[in-house]
Amino acid sequence: MKVEIDVFSGYRIYPSKGRLFVRGDSKIFRFGASKNQSLFLQRKNPRKIAWTQVYRRMHKKGVTEEVAKKRSRKTVKHQRGIVGADLAAIAAKRNQTSQVRTQQRLAAITKAKAEKKEKESKKPKPQRTQASATTARNISKQQAKGGRGGR
Amino acid sequence: MIGLKGTLNVIDNSGALLVECVNVLKNKVNNGWGSVGDEIVCVVKRARPVPASAQLSAAALKVRRGDVRRAVIVRTKKPVRRPDGRWVRFDDNAAILLNNKREMLGTRIGGVVSADLRMKGWGKIVSLAPKVI
Repeated sequence: MKVEIDVFSGYRIYPSKGRLFVRGDSKIFRFGASKNQSLFLQRKNPRKIAWTQVYRRMHKKGVTEEVAKKRSRKTVKHQRGIVGADLAAIAAKRNQTSQVRTQQRLAAITKAKAEKKEKESKKPKPQRTQASATTARNISKQQAKGGRGGR
Repeated sequence: MIGLKGTLNVIDNSGALLVECVNVLKNKVNNGWGSVGDEIVCVVKRARPVPASAQLSAAALKVRRGDVRRAVIVRTKKPVRRPDGRWVRFDDNAAILLNNKREMLGTRIGGVVSADLRMKGWGKIVSLAPKVI
């Protein structure tokens, strides 16, 4: 015994109830009552007839039990190592305390200053000319920009 | 409920397109009406044009307009009751042509056929049909 579903209203059709209609294109339609059949043949849209299952599903009537369908999809983030720095190196860098970082910065600064002093002591003359040339260029650019801005 | 003057589509390849019922056999049992699985005598009202160039049709016989033949009803618009209580109704009335010995004239059937035929003893037609409902 198979309980069919009415094609119009979505109700269940028990055996010996309703009618089976075979259309010209060999499509089968099952009706549980003459009411459903009549509306179907009048070509009414079940989505607009308020008592049909189709309508109720569309307008979410009486569906409070099915709210559990809301499952939020959370993407899990995986930490990956890159070619230059593997996972351990990244973790090590991230977990450095601020003290360690400031120490590293100071060390770097002192190192840079020392290197600069060495350079200056080695080559005094060519640096000065280079500096004047760059400043001259700067001024000319500024002049040009100022001129355009005025007009 | 096919009776006198009732028209039916022909769904085999015998060449006829539309037949008109002239007489329902086993009349007294059915109160004058023919249903699925009943034999009727019919007149061919419309037939497919026969190619005038001789008898090329080796497969199927060609019937012409005005031929009086027998046929069996395979689909009715009037609902037919199944033993499980269901009522089945098709969108049109259809028949398959036969000869006097209850054999099919055509060789192929195009379309749906009612399963009630099997119960009335037309197993050969049911086996040839592409779809039986």
